[in-house]
Amino acid sequence: MSDVRPHKVKDIFVEGAIPPSFIAESIAKHSTRTDIGAHEIFLGQVRGDSFVVSHPEPSRRTNHDPKNTLRQVHHDSRVTAIEYTTYREMAMERMTTLREEAFTRWPTMTCLHVHHSLGTIKAGELCFMVFASAPHRQQAREAVAWVVDAIKSELPIFGKEVLSGGDHLWKSNS
Amino acid sequence: MKALLFGMIAEKANASEIAVSANTTHALRLELEQRISGLDRLSYSIAVDRLIVHDDVPLIGNEEVAVLPPFAGG
Repeated sequence: MSDVRPHKVKDIFVEGAIPPSFIAESIAKHSTRTDIGAHEIFLGQVRGDSFVVSHPEPSRRTNHDPKNTLRQVHHDSRVTAIEYTTYREMAMERMTTLREEAFTRWPTMTCLHVHHSLGTIKAGELCFMVFASAPHRQQAREAVAWVVDAIKSELPIFGKEVLSGGDHLWKSNS
Repeated sequence: MKALLFGMIAEKANASEIAVSANTTHALRLELEQRISGLDRLSYSIAVDRLIVHDDVPLIGNEEVAVLPPFAGG
């Protein structure tokens, strides 16, 4: 199986949502690897956050101050989708480094698969998958937790939250 | 040289790249904040050759420079 090599550079980005069937197929591909005793999978799903209006001032609506202004002026707005974009070259370089670090920290990890969506992902759909396998559960668990956090804080991925009223906010992990 | 723009910064500038003349990353910040309305109120990073730089570093003109708004992966 070629995808178990730790340092292979693979494109983590997929256009559109991650279908649940893809996850099942990913699990099935590991059935020949009988040295694996544990799989750990993190799945990120687009959340349809709702906003409560505290300051209805429609004339001051602006996209230039996404932190609070929009949230304060909107009536019953909710996130219907996130449009993901990336700085692909930098993201792939960072991912290669993170991957190498993960295999250094958890050397018995058998394999690590990462997929992140680009484009419009609707609320309720899956946009992020980190899947680690190892002989025993502890390494797989720790590696997935670490890789998920590292990707969220270090990869240049940008998310535009599309709101039900037609406006949008920019998502920020920091 | 050009600077690549992403996410909300590309939206503010209405462009995915912008021609700049700065010869340090600090000067680049000042130049961008003059030209992109509202950028001075944002938290953003500068990447040079796909690595984020925190200090003021010289730019000779052949680097790949990018202006990055807050990350939102996952």
